[in-house]
Amino acid sequence: MVGTSVKRSKSLLVEEYIARLEKGDALLDDSPQNLVEVVGILKSYGVVLDAYSINLCYVANTQFLKLFPLFKYFNGEVNSGKIGKFIWHDRLNYEYAEYCMKGMFWHGGGGLDAYLDTPEFAAQTEELLKAYYKYNPLMMGLHKIFPDFLPEQMRQMSYYSGLGQFWRVMSDIFINLSDSYDRGEIKSIPDVVKFILDGLVADAARPIVYIPKIGDIAFPIIPESAGITFLMDTGVPYVEAIFFRGTPFTGTVSYNAQAYEIPYDPGMFNYGALYADPLPIGGAGIPPTLLMQDMRHFLPDYLLKLYQEKSIRGEGDLRIQICESFQRSMFCVTTAAVQGLAPHPLNTEDRDQQLANRKYLKGWLNRILESQIIKVNRKTVD
Amino acid sequence: MLSALILIPLVSAAIIGLTPLSGKNPRNFAIVAAVVALAINIALGLQFDFQQEGIQFAENIPWIEWIGLNYHIGIDGLSFPLVLLNSLLTLIAIFATSRTIQRPRLYYGMLFLLSAGAVGAFLAQDLLLFFLFYELEIVPLYFLIAIWGGKRRGYAAMKFLLYTALSGILVLASFLGLVWLTGETTFDYAILRSHTLPLASQLWLLTPLLIGVFIKIPIFPFHTWLPDAHVEASTPISVLLAGVLLKLGTYALLRFGVGLFLEGWVYLAPWMAILAGISALYGASCAIAQKDMKKVVAYSSIAHMAYILLAASATTRLSMTAAVFQMVSHGLISAFLFLLVGMVYKKTGSRDVDYLRGLLNPERGLPVTGGLMILGVMASSGLPGMVGFISEFLVFRGSFPIFPIPTLMCLVGTGLTAVYFLLVINKVFFGRLTESLSQLPPVEWREHAPAFVLLLLIVAFGIKPDWVTHWSEVQAIALLTGG
Repeated sequence: MVGTSVKRSKSLLVEEYIARLEKGDALLDDSPQNLVEVVGILKSYGVVLDAYSINLCYVANTQFLKLFPLFKYFNGEVNSGKIGKFIWHDRLNYEYAEYCMKGMFWHGGGGLDAYLDTPEFAAQTEELLKAYYKYNPLMMGLHKIFPDFLPEQMRQMSYYSGLGQFWRVMSDIFINLSDSYDRGEIKSIPDVVKFILDGLVADAARPIVYIPKIGDIAFPIIPESAGITFLMDTGVPYVEAIFFRGTPFTGTVSYNAQAYEIPYDPGMFNYGALYADPLPIGGAGIPPTLLMQDMRHFLPDYLLKLYQEKSIRGEGDLRIQICESFQRSMFCVTTAAVQGLAPHPLNTEDRDQQLANRKYLKGWLNRILESQIIKVNRKTVD
Repeated sequence: MLSALILIPLVSAAIIGLTPLSGKNPRNFAIVAAVVALAINIALGLQFDFQQEGIQFAENIPWIEWIGLNYHIGIDGLSFPLVLLNSLLTLIAIFATSRTIQRPRLYYGMLFLLSAGAVGAFLAQDLLLFFLFYELEIVPLYFLIAIWGGKRRGYAAMKFLLYTALSGILVLASFLGLVWLTGETTFDYAILRSHTLPLASQLWLLTPLLIGVFIKIPIFPFHTWLPDAHVEASTPISVLLAGVLLKLGTYALLRFGVGLFLEGWVYLAPWMAILAGISALYGASCAIAQKDMKKVVAYSSIAHMAYILLAASATTRLSMTAAVFQMVSHGLISAFLFLLVGMVYKKTGSRDVDYLRGLLNPERGLPVTGGLMILGVMASSGLPGMVGFISEFLVFRGSFPIFPIPTLMCLVGTGLTAVYFLLVINKVFFGRLTESLSQLPPVEWREHAPAFVLLLLIVAFGIKPDWVTHWSEVQAIALLTGG
């Protein structure tokens, strides 16, 4: 009986959220506080993503195949002041960008992942390796013995570059969104979703390329002709890897398989950003702490004021509050992705299109409703 | 000068309780008075000759001569550390008291009365005077538990009163018997100590004294009042109770048990050592089973106080020094732990180890409290570098050659300390923060200031133990040699 009622309540929830999406609403409840939190946090996220993006592209383009890339977080500017700031930890935590990159690399999916297994990629990589190690017979000898090792490094560099280019676009969208909000053009959560969706659609076909140089010679590891595009080949795998599957965090949650906390179908095992528990943020070994730590430097005043007023600890638990807002904002990005990838416009009047949409939405919602969305919406302050 | 240590808290209690001079909230006045008392104590320490046997700064004023009572006080290496501990913990207890406590004048008045009783008992060189101070501290402590205690404060306060009153009666009976059997007309400690009674007489007098102080320490099976008193008492009172008042019992053991009845003491020592071993194991075992953090610390206190009995029973030069060291060590560590448990309770409203979880959460938990608690547990478990290690090492090293089995029992008890405290730490501080505790108020640094002071001393005496041993070594050994 319990099982039946649980199933029924979940199917009711799915229907409720389908109706909500068809109506043009977002997964996240629309409220003034949610709007302030989402726009404010996306502004600081945009600033951080800008820096992450620059660094990922810098690493991909200049630090590839380096045995000890000691200064890879310095973006080419190495001086005593920057080293001092780095040691003092007064810096952005680019490690988080690498966590996300590794998450995407691990989970794969999309055209980028598929292209990295093609003969074209292998051939271009081989050319690059020959040029890079022209005067290094030891490495070339090792490459002969272990032929998969160095190409795998270049696959990883391709992800550095791919994620860097993806975040370049997302950063601009989020900062433009904030500017638009400041001008009074964004008034609700659905407005936020629409803005993000428009940004995604505008850049959907933007090519993702990776063409590192050795000296003056360029090596098109991922040429434009490969047809790798922003939305389907980096955006969708990113959402899958980071929002649903998570980055390879260690020690955050223990799952008990015997208590059925791990589904039989690994594809249904979700532990990404939408599912994350914000409470352990700040603890050791919890990588999202790094992102929250970075975002706290760029919070707009109105959001900082809200946090100070909202919590009994003022700024004492800022990183958890940022994480809660961040999770809210990610539900808006997810809504935009769900809307953008739908087979037909969600507000269509056509019955067949509606049925197709519903089938598509059920697939998403069956996963999304396992996330923190219900809890987050329950906490929404009108 | 020595009388100032008694008069300052007594007069402060009178000013706060009976006059409007200290204002509506006498907290600041109380702090000033406690600081002055502590400063005098330190000044006294600077003038004190620790290499000299016997009492110093003695004051002897005839009081009620027809019953043999004189106001005879003095300080020696045995009482100095405890008097200093009392001054320090009184100040810390005042700091740890809520600024918005109900009926503050009565509260602070009682607190100073308690402090005066304890310091008077430590300084008294007259058995009857000791008894008066010993009894004096019962009354304010009863009220401090009964008025500002927890839900079952009435029960706990009454139980405390009955037990400790019985303790006082037994101690008094022993003193009266001693005066009667020696044929003296005075209760003066030095005079009575110069007599040597036959063994049988000593045993007749020592037995009620021992039972009396076993209740006070407390030693199993006379301990049942203590967990209730600790659980119901507010944090500052638990600090004083564990840090100072229990030491009245162990002080009486050494001063009167060993000092006056050495032959009888040696005769009963094997049985006392076994009782110490049992008490240590019993306290540790009970601590493992507790669900209330404060009860864990309370039972731990019972186990650790038993080490003092073990060391005193062994009556070696090293073990006597160790007994005094363990008193100081336990006073600091237990006060520290009670402060931290009190902080957890103040912020979460609970001490239930089955309810509290993840308090080390760096953003919304009590990470500093948790960190300090871990250090406190390390100190209590006897980890090197802290005062607990030195005191327990000295106790076991000094006692093992005389009573190997009871020492091993106590060693097992010390091993169990790590078990029960780590269970508490693991449950309360690690894991995910309990959802209903995710909006805890923050702990301000000044709230932790008293704990940091104690931690500093715990570490300092752990690294430089001779700072404590040289206070008491000469006098502790003198108890055995009749000096």
